[in-house]
Amino acid sequence: MTFTLRRRELLKSVLAGAAFSAVGPLRPAQAAEAVSWLTWENLAKDDYLAALIEKGGISIEKSFIGTDDEQFAKLRAGGASSVDLITPGLDKVEYYVASNLLQPIDLAKVPNAAKLYDTFKATTLGKKDGKTYGIPFYWGINPVVYRADLMDAEPDWSVFFEGEKYKGKLAMRDYALEGIMIAALYLGIPKDKMFDLDDKQLAEVKKALIAQKKLLRTYWSSIGDLTNLFATGEVVCAFSWVPPYFDLTARGLKMGMAKPKAGVIGWCDTLAIPAGVSGAKLDATLKLVDYLLGPDYGKKLAYGGPYAQSTSSTRDALPAEQQEKIFIKDLSVMDSFVWKANPPRYTEWVALWNEVKAS
Amino acid sequence: MAFAADRGVRLAAPVALVLVAGCVVPLAVLFVYSFFKVDFVAIVHDPTVKNYVRVAASATYRGLIGRAILSGAIVAVISAVIAYPVAWAIAKRVYLLKSAYLTLLLIPLYTGDLVRIFAWRVVLGSEGVINSFLMWTGIVHEPIRALLFSPFATHVVLTYDYLPFMVMGLWLAFESLDDRLLEAARDLGAGEVTIFRRIVLPLTAPGLIAGAMMVFVLVVGDYLTPQLIGGSSGITVISAINDLFGTAFDWPLGSAIASSLLIILGLLVTLAALVVARSTWGRSVVSGE
Amino acid sequence: MNVGRADTDGPRAVVLLEALGLAKSYGPVAAVQGVDFRLPVNAYVTLLGPSGCGKTSILRMIGGFETPSAGSLRLDGADLAGVGPAERPVNTVFQSYALFPHMTVADNVAFGLEVKGRDRNETKIRTARALALVRMTDMADRRPNQLSGGQQQRVALARAIVNEPRLLLLDEPLSALDRRMRKDMQIELKDLQRRLGLTFVHVTHDQEEAFALSDHLIVMNAGRIEQQGTPEEIYRRPATTFVADFIGGANLFPGQILATSDGAATIATAFGPVTAASVSGLSVGSTAALCLRPELLTPQPDGPILSTVRHVVFQGADWLVEVEAAERTVTLRLESERGPEPGERLAIGFDAASAWITAGTIATEAGHGVRG
Repeated sequence: MTFTLRRRELLKSVLAGAAFSAVGPLRPAQAAEAVSWLTWENLAKDDYLAALIEKGGISIEKSFIGTDDEQFAKLRAGGASSVDLITPGLDKVEYYVASNLLQPIDLAKVPNAAKLYDTFKATTLGKKDGKTYGIPFYWGINPVVYRADLMDAEPDWSVFFEGEKYKGKLAMRDYALEGIMIAALYLGIPKDKMFDLDDKQLAEVKKALIAQKKLLRTYWSSIGDLTNLFATGEVVCAFSWVPPYFDLTARGLKMGMAKPKAGVIGWCDTLAIPAGVSGAKLDATLKLVDYLLGPDYGKKLAYGGPYAQSTSSTRDALPAEQQEKIFIKDLSVMDSFVWKANPPRYTEWVALWNEVKAS
Repeated sequence: MAFAADRGVRLAAPVALVLVAGCVVPLAVLFVYSFFKVDFVAIVHDPTVKNYVRVAASATYRGLIGRAILSGAIVAVISAVIAYPVAWAIAKRVYLLKSAYLTLLLIPLYTGDLVRIFAWRVVLGSEGVINSFLMWTGIVHEPIRALLFSPFATHVVLTYDYLPFMVMGLWLAFESLDDRLLEAARDLGAGEVTIFRRIVLPLTAPGLIAGAMMVFVLVVGDYLTPQLIGGSSGITVISAINDLFGTAFDWPLGSAIASSLLIILGLLVTLAALVVARSTWGRSVVSGE
Repeated sequence: MNVGRADTDGPRAVVLLEALGLAKSYGPVAAVQGVDFRLPVNAYVTLLGPSGCGKTSILRMIGGFETPSAGSLRLDGADLAGVGPAERPVNTVFQSYALFPHMTVADNVAFGLEVKGRDRNETKIRTARALALVRMTDMADRRPNQLSGGQQQRVALARAIVNEPRLLLLDEPLSALDRRMRKDMQIELKDLQRRLGLTFVHVTHDQEEAFALSDHLIVMNAGRIEQQGTPEEIYRRPATTFVADFIGGANLFPGQILATSDGAATIATAFGPVTAASVSGLSVGSTAALCLRPELLTPQPDGPILSTVRHVVFQGADWLVEVEAAERTVTLRLESERGPEPGERLAIGFDAASAWITAGTIATEAGHGVRG
């Protein structure tokens, strides 16, 4: 019985998929403009986009990216002509702009952009010469996650740099940019100076990071791996992403999530339009951008992701519990945000990071 | 004769083409890139040796290359020590089910490196098999944390991962080793150590060298195992190159380190080949009995 | 059936190696089923038998490569049990020579001396002497794969004798050589044995080779010794039908013993009773066989054996003729201008004085065909 049911469902979805792929690109028969969106798979679920498609006039062709670097490489290799909308990280927009791959976005045609949270309006990232090239799309934070059952108190950044109590039970992401940002936060270097560290500051950072290395169990490079390390007790506290906190809490572990007052590293992906898109195609693309910043999409993302949009379109429609989950209940958290940017001496940062790890 | 030669060329052409397209061209591109420099996200095509100077001047990159080579050598030696008796036993003491033993030996290779790595975590971890057992017996009261996330753990897992290659190399060598030579040596008064040193070792040397080369190169190229098992000291030259290509967009420097590593590996392999070819036994062993 | 024991060596022989009840089993397979023999000093001894008769197992037990399942081996009066091959004053020339492929000829020969820690100078001198002895001095720097089979054979010999063993074992040493080379090497081996005054124990399945070399011959079959003695004794006076058949392919005619007297017997054959010299120990009524060598048979108009010619082979010096008589295939050697024609009827006679009656039944029709 279950089998037949499952089979029927399966058949239905297979048929629907086939119909979609066969008919999808033909939608322009109803005068719909096809917009090609290069994005992360979990952001372009059909039901997230249904409200826009139903209104008509637009169809969406999706293609997916595996990493941000891959997206950049694809566009640099001439992929821009086949894509109308891309999803680069806020800090990466600069690369695309420097490579002349993007066009500035006319915010007048994106009404929902007016609802961007202040921190996103204020950021200089994604902009050049006062023009916006990448509109903040959705965001989150990379907090400190810890085993509340194995730690006495909520940790802050100092746990990764001093004291012996958790020596050999800590983990740090293997990523030069964030590693050095955290050291700078710990050392009290102001957020606005953080990406322009001078030689003296770099030397201090290096010293702190070498001290940190002695306290670490390991550097993690995949979030699944870190989740595993928390679960087996190898690691009790790590600079992390959010998923281990939710996954392991759901599995009954007493997890904690700390957002140090000295600053929290936030991440944000943007929506950006390749340089060649124009005319009716551009109008349709802007319509899609506006939709992605609007309440219909925002609500779906808030529950499905769960992630927060960069606009306040849907915030007030969410229950407090869900707001809490995506960090928008208490908006003051945004005051301590540090957005990732590209340090001018990034090659030296990477070299420093490798020196620390090889020390 | 001319016809045969001509046909030989024609038959070899696709092979040469595949080799050039699949092997030489990417390496050539890598090599060429190592002489460029990078300006934010633009590759500047003015030739420069600055990248090589940076590699040579950097204790970190030199150290990482040296560490990779040392690791390769250590694992090759350990796996040789383990593989000799195993290969001997399979070749000379197993008559039935020989292929079953060889298949068994290769099973770890079928599982994929991530599966193996996580299996070893279960074995070596703080709450893992070994520590749980030691705590249960009361030999230790605190888990031995250095069992996992340490250079020791990395080398254990690397040895486990690449041992089959060494065993296969030596097994083939032992299969073609005539037992009567060992009897002859015994008959002439040689003890077991002398027999190993003067007969077995030289006659299985092609297998040993082939196995060692494979293990060595695979260990040098493995960054996943050190990264996931080696803990905070799990950095490798490969992951450093990866960082430079990926997050730093410094392809020229990454290319220069990769080229340096390739050149050093190439020299070592050539040296080994020369030693084999030059040595008196090498020639006779290679040319066969 | 150990007729003609080791005491045929006579009192002159000083015993070098003695085997008592020596046996070897591989699982359920009994390769050697309890044999006794004594080997004298300074003798060329051959272990002869078909493949699988146990002769190689005996050699390997003497060499120390196999442990006897039962019985003992004594060399110069000392028990060899527990003495490893490296410690025995015995060296072996292996069937495939087993030269070390990665060493030069000189290094191969020097190996035994080197591993025993001999002085370098002494090693050099003795190696050179051994190479000279087998006439391989010019080849000292070659590798085994650069040598012919005969040259490899000589290196293998030099490598063994350089150690000055009490006993030299040779396992089918000539089987890999062509016929001509084999003849030459037989002479060299025999010559070498005389010059060195060593005892050689040579395993072979080739009776011609055994006859050419041996002072003392041990014929084996199915894990047992059938007969031992000098080649002449074994050829003329085969103790069993197996020996008679295996050595020189005698024609065997089965029958019952009608009467025995001192050293002779009367046997009832298909062509009537024949009285001839016989092995000892035959009893009246037992089954035995009349043994007639091919060269002893001649066509005689009144010969008792009536036959039909089947095959005729010209062999230069004589004709080899295969005839059918008394429902058996019989072989003759005829020295005459022209041979008989196939299909021809032939009456065959023989001189009873040269006939021999041996013990045992004939297991198979003596289908050995034309044998050299």
